[in-house]
Parts: sequence; structure tokens; C-alpha cells
Amino acid sequence: MINFIFKRILQLIPVLLGISVLVFLLLYLIPGDPAMTLLGQDATVEEIDRFKEQMGLNEPFIVQLGVFLLKLVKGDLGDSIFQSMPVADIIMKHLPATLELATLALIIALIIAIPVGIISAVKQFSWVDYTSMFFAQLGVSIPVFWLGLMMILFFSVELNMLPSFGRGDPLFFSIAQTIKTGNLYYVVDSLKHIILPALALGLMSAAFITRMVRSAMLEVLKEDYIRTAEAKGVKGFFVVIKHAFRNALIPIVTIVGLQFGNLLGGAIVTETVFAWPGIGRLVITAIGQRDFPLVQGTVLVIALVFALINLVVDILYTLINPKIQQ
Amino acid sequence: MVALKKMRWLAIVIAVVMVISGCSYEDTNQGTSSEGSSAGANEIKVALDIDAVSTDPRLTNESAGKRVNELVYDGLVRLSNNLEPEPSLALEWSNPDSKTWIFKLRENVNFHDGEPLTAEDVKYTFDTLLDPEFQAPSLALYDPIESVEIIDEYTVQFNLSRPYAPLLSNLELGIVPKHIAEKEDKSLSSNPVGTGPYKMVKWEKNSEISFEKNESYWGGESKVSKITYYIIPDNSTRVASLESGDIDFIHSPLSPQDIERVKGNDKFNVVETQGLGFTYLNFNHQNELLSDVKVRQAISHLIDKEVISKSIYRDMDTPALSPLIPASWAFTEDVPVFGYDVEMSKKLFKEAGWEDTDGDGFYDKEGKRFEIKISTHSEDPNRIQTAEYLQNELEKNGIKVEVLTNEWPTFSTNMLEGKFDIALLGWLNLFDPDRAMYNQFHSQSGSNYGKYNNEKVDALLLSGRETLDQEKRKEIYNEIAQIVTEEVGYNVLLYQGYIAMYSKRIEGFTPNASGNLYGLRNAVLTE
Repeated sequence: MINFIFKRILQLIPVLLGISVLVFLLLYLIPGDPAMTLLGQDATVEEIDRFKEQMGLNEPFIVQLGVFLLKLVKGDLGDSIFQSMPVADIIMKHLPATLELATLALIIALIIAIPVGIISAVKQFSWVDYTSMFFAQLGVSIPVFWLGLMMILFFSVELNMLPSFGRGDPLFFSIAQTIKTGNLYYVVDSLKHIILPALALGLMSAAFITRMVRSAMLEVLKEDYIRTAEAKGVKGFFVVIKHAFRNALIPIVTIVGLQFGNLLGGAIVTETVFAWPGIGRLVITAIGQRDFPLVQGTVLVIALVFALINLVVDILYTLINPKIQQ
Repeated sequence: MVALKKMRWLAIVIAVVMVISGCSYEDTNQGTSSEGSSAGANEIKVALDIDAVSTDPRLTNESAGKRVNELVYDGLVRLSNNLEPEPSLALEWSNPDSKTWIFKLRENVNFHDGEPLTAEDVKYTFDTLLDPEFQAPSLALYDPIESVEIIDEYTVQFNLSRPYAPLLSNLELGIVPKHIAEKEDKSLSSNPVGTGPYKMVKWEKNSEISFEKNESYWGGESKVSKITYYIIPDNSTRVASLESGDIDFIHSPLSPQDIERVKGNDKFNVVETQGLGFTYLNFNHQNELLSDVKVRQAISHLIDKEVISKSIYRDMDTPALSPLIPASWAFTEDVPVFGYDVEMSKKLFKEAGWEDTDGDGFYDKEGKRFEIKISTHSEDPNRIQTAEYLQNELEKNGIKVEVLTNEWPTFSTNMLEGKFDIALLGWLNLFDPDRAMYNQFHSQSGSNYGKYNNEKVDALLLSGRETLDQEKRKEIYNEIAQIVTEEVGYNVLLYQGYIAMYSKRIEGFTPNASGNLYGLRNAVLTE
């Protein structure tokens, strides 16, 4: 197992390197540069040229790429052009918010999707099944920004129950504070902030995962061993959970892994609507400003998170079905 | 059992993620949460659309950075609500001759760290700003300053290379503390120290910027002890947060459809005034079709500014006349107007040799169809709609139009390189008529994207800079406005409106058309 993980991590290095070169090439090819945006409407042509010269933006592509890769090998992601801070620091300030949001969104999605998907499969073609499939279809179709805005208008403006924007203290930090002080306020405040964006983000995933769970379960419920188990007199509930759901887990885990990646990507819109200070908004702003080092670094980190999720999914496979390891 | 084991794994994974997401958090909150219990009633919460880039006034060029600087720094002068320079750090000033300005500084003014402000700081601020290596975005506005001399501890003299009337309006720039700035080049970019009414105490990137009042402010202590800027990028969320009471003050940019709703709510003040910018069509005079003034005029007769203002901007921005904005002392209504007139347009096209000879619905000349591109940038949905409206209107009347929308960096690079036919964009912060004129219409200027070229206008622009008498300047700029409007150097479509919406709890504050929030220091919060 350790060998397997180690090998997989080694395989990551060329992948990440490839991604870096690809992103660098893309950024090089799209027209526009940070100079005009940074220097603003009063800048003269000479100033813009001087800035590009200083930033090394006038160098040939190969030179720019070489400089970037040399830094990268040393573990240096460079400095942001706009925020005059190391890229690594900026990412570390924004990544936790996105991971927290995506994790909670995924938990919400699983809490909804697994029971609903299982019940839909077991009671196929019943009203329960139709209703849940209708909502799943709805969940896939509703745009996140619209849903988010409606939630804000309802829960914040109408009911005045929840904050309309922003992040409280990080959840993990609040839990620690609450344990330390015995005051529930901290956790409640953080949860109040995160619940709407996590719901808005999680509902779409819930819809996807529900459909996946349902179809995987339907597949398995037709198998002979299920009939055998039932014939042996195992209770329905145990058949469904222990025999069927366990075997349906492989495709479900795959989709959950993919969904987590999607949540990181989907967080861009959610983060904008709810003013959540995460990496999605960061990368969008950076692309809009052509803050090349920051875009590079952020994409690289997101790719790394993706790769690590894939690794976790593969490890989970071997736990679910030990045969896979061989 | 196995299921349990699996759940345990999942729990471990989630726990690891939670730990990662928690570990890297530093507690900079000083015990208060954003809506924390200790946030007293004496705090004004403002929502902005973007985060600041730099809080060093010499490097700031975006609106959020300016909003920070207004609270933290003072300039030599401060522009009043009608754009007149008023004393700030400079008590008084004089002109021994047209190229010399002498400023007498206020004494006993301290920076937030307790160090006194002297002429040294003023000289240092402008010396560094004028150094090309420093790469100040607004360098061009200060270009005529040759040197800044210290006369004594509280007197500075600006020596100019040529008379420069717009100087005063550009001296609102915050004065930085030499003793901090010279130590480390970039520290003020994220830890500003000024002489202003508020000190910045916290800056969570992309999230919030907090200020506490400067108790020893030379202009008197503010009544509101805390101001916090929250960064809320989405226009509709910003309005919702005002309505829900999470935020006390928001202002432009706003979406027209949200404004009506707040107007109907008696908890809020909605102030609509003329802003300090305009939206315009830039004609590329190097394009062979558009180099003909008759063609530019013919196109102008097909543009209904009233419709654009009403249908797309919902009267938030108003139909414009010329590059002189109504908020300016140089404003004039005495300029040529190209009303919506299809017949007139046809006549002008015909005079320019364009007719529809092959009956395909589009003008042609010597076998060439009249085709142009209208470009704008994708960040502004109203501008995209306007470009599409123009496309529709022009295509009905014989002109084949392609609309191109690109992100700002691409779009602005194309502008700079002259790769456009007609472009839809805007100019902001027009504190002085020179600011939307000189760099835009002078034949030798970098911001003259369309390469408009008129010797008479060049000469007038120079004398507008070099004449110090305001009445005479007004005449000069009125004449320029008439010429560039007549020749359609630009077609200025709309005067940008400025809208501020805020809770009625805030009293004693008058919104300023530039969006300047310095006035919040005089505000009182009622319960």
C-alpha cells in the first residue's frame, strides 16, 4: 500500500510539470498583458513598455518559460504582479476557504444523495422515485448564481436569519475556539456564514450523485447474489446496505471524487455570488488582470488538489474491493 | 463492519482536509468576527465591488485603492463636492509666476505612527512619483513638475517646466511618510501609514479592510469610530446585503434593475447625481472607411442616445453632448448635436460616395461593402448590450457590423495598438477638463487611440493647460468640445451617473460624485 502511494506521488511530478508548461503556453497565447490594467487609463505608451521590459514580458517565449521552470524547480512560484506578495502566500490565504466550502458542500451532497438514491432504486417507479428524480433533474438544471441569489433574498433579506455574504472565522478555527471557551457563538457564526454557499454549491452535486447512486444500485439489485441473500432470509434492509450498496460503491466513489473536483471549479460562481474569499474568485480575478504568476500558481495548486483526490479515490477502491490492489 | 471501516476512512480524509483548511489560518482577527459581538453600533459598513491592489497612493489607480487612501492619507489639497480645490495639508498656496507654486503646510500634523509631517515628506512623495523607475501609474498627470524644493520645514515650492493649470486638482494625492517609505519600497502598499482621519487596522485580501479613527486627526476626531470595507463582487448581492442590514452603504457600480427596489424602501437614502465619467464611441481615424468625417457624422445620426440611456441604463446614465461632463465648471450645452435622423444619415453617406447599388441592403462603393467592427470589453454587460443595439440599428440602415467583445486586457491592448474600427468604452475621474481631452485628442498623445489629428485642437489643448484663469480655460475647452464633437473625434454617448444608497442611520454625510468617502468622517450614526 505504501509502495503504491509512493509510486503514484512520483507519477504526479511529470503531470504537474506538463500542466505548468501547458498553462504557460495558454497564457502566452491569449492577447493582453497586465501592464495596461495595472497602470490604468493615464499611462503613456513609454510607461507601458518600460513596465513590460522590467517584468520580462518582452523576452522570447522560451526564455520566459525557462525562467519560470527554473524557479518552479526550486519550489518558488514567484511574486504576484498586482499584489506584490509571493504567490504561495496568497494561495495559502485563499485555498483553505475553498477547501472548507467544497468539503461542506460535498458532505451536504452525500447526506442528501445516498439515502435518496438508495430509496429511489429500491422503490423504482414509485412516486418517491419520480419525485426524487424530478428534483435531481431540477438540481442539475438550476444555475448556481440564480439559486444563490434567491437564497440570499429569502434567508437574508426576507427572514433576516443568515448573513448575506462573506466568511466568518474558518470553521476549524471556530470549533477550536468553542471548545476552548465553551461558547457556542463561534461555531454558530461560522456555520451561519457557510451554510448558504455550501447549500447552493452542494445541491447540484447532490443531484448528480443521487442519479449515480440510483443507477448503480439498480444495476446491483438485479444480481443473482442479491436474490440468494434474500432467499437465505436476510432482512431487506441488510440486503440493500450490506450486499447491494457495498458493491455499488465503486462507481459512486468515482463520481464523488470527480464531483469534489467539480466543486472546486464550481466554487468560482458561488464564491462570487456569496463574496466568499476563496481560490476560485482569486483565479478569475487574476486571469482578468493577466497576473501571470498568480494564475500559474493557482492552476498548479488546483491541479495538485485534483491529483490528490484521484489518489484518495484509488486508495478507497482498494479498501472497498481488495481484488483491485492485485 | 467493512462499511464502518470505510466510513472511518472517509472521516479521516475529511478530517485531513479540515485540518489543512484550518491550519494555515492565522488569527488576525483580534478577537472579533466580521459580524462579531464586539462590533459596536458605532461602525459604518461599506461594500465595494473590488479589492484594493495597492494602498500606496503613488501606486493606486483603481477605485478600491482610492477609497482606502481617502480615509488614510491627506493630500496637499482636497477637492470639494463641486471639484474646487480646498486646503488640506496645505493651508494656502500662491503663484509668484505661472511656473512656480508655493505651498504653506499645516503645522503640528502627525502621521499615524506619531512622526510629524514636514516639507521633507511632500518632496519625497513627488520625487519618487516622478522617478520613471518607480512606475507610478499616474505619472503622466504630474509630468510638467520639474522639481520640488524645500523652502523651510513647512514650505514647499513646485517648479514646473511649463504652466500647468490642472496641477491643483491632481494634488489630492496622499502624502506618504518618508521615514517609512524610504526604508522599504513596498511596505505602504499593504500597510498604509498616513495623516488621514482613519488608520487601517486590518486587510483580509478579497474579503474586508478595516479602519479605526485617528483620535489625533488635525481636522478633529471623527464621530464614527470604525469603518469597514467589505468586498462583494456581485452587484445584486451587494444590494441584498444593504437590504438585509449587513451593510450600511453601497455605491456605483450598480445594476439598474436593483435600484428601483431600494428606492421603494423607506429605510434607505438613494442619491443619484452626475458622476465624473462618460461612455463613448472611439472612432479609428486610420480606418479608411471611418477617416471620412461625413461617414462618422452619418453613423452618429443613426445612434439614438435616448434609447440607450432609457432601455439599457434605465436612466442611470444620461444622454451626452460632448467630452465635457455636467459636473465640471467647463460644461457647455453649446455643441453640435447629431440627432437620430435616418434621412440625414442617408444623405451624408451619399455625399461620401456610399450607396446601396446592388440592393443587398448594405452600402457599397467601388464594389466594396461598408463593413465595420464595434468592439467593447466583456466585464460590462451594459456595454455589451449597447454594442448589440448599435449593431442592430446600423444593420437596419445599410452598415454591416460585427460585434467583438474581449476581456479588458485584450481589449485595451488592441486599443493601444490601434486594432479596432469603433470601440465602446469610457473615461473616469474627470476632475479637470484637461483629463478627458489632452491625452485623448492631442495628436502626439498615447491615449489618442483613434489617432485623431487636428492642429488647431493641439494648440488649444496646450493653451488650456497653460492658462491659469478659469474663465479663459472654460472658453478654450468649450471651443475644443465644439470641434471634436463636430468632427466626431469621439461620439460621447452617455454621462455616467453616480448612485449611492445607504441606511438612514447615517446622517451628516453627502455623497460625492467622485465616490470619495472622506466625508464619512463627519457622519453620525443614529440608532
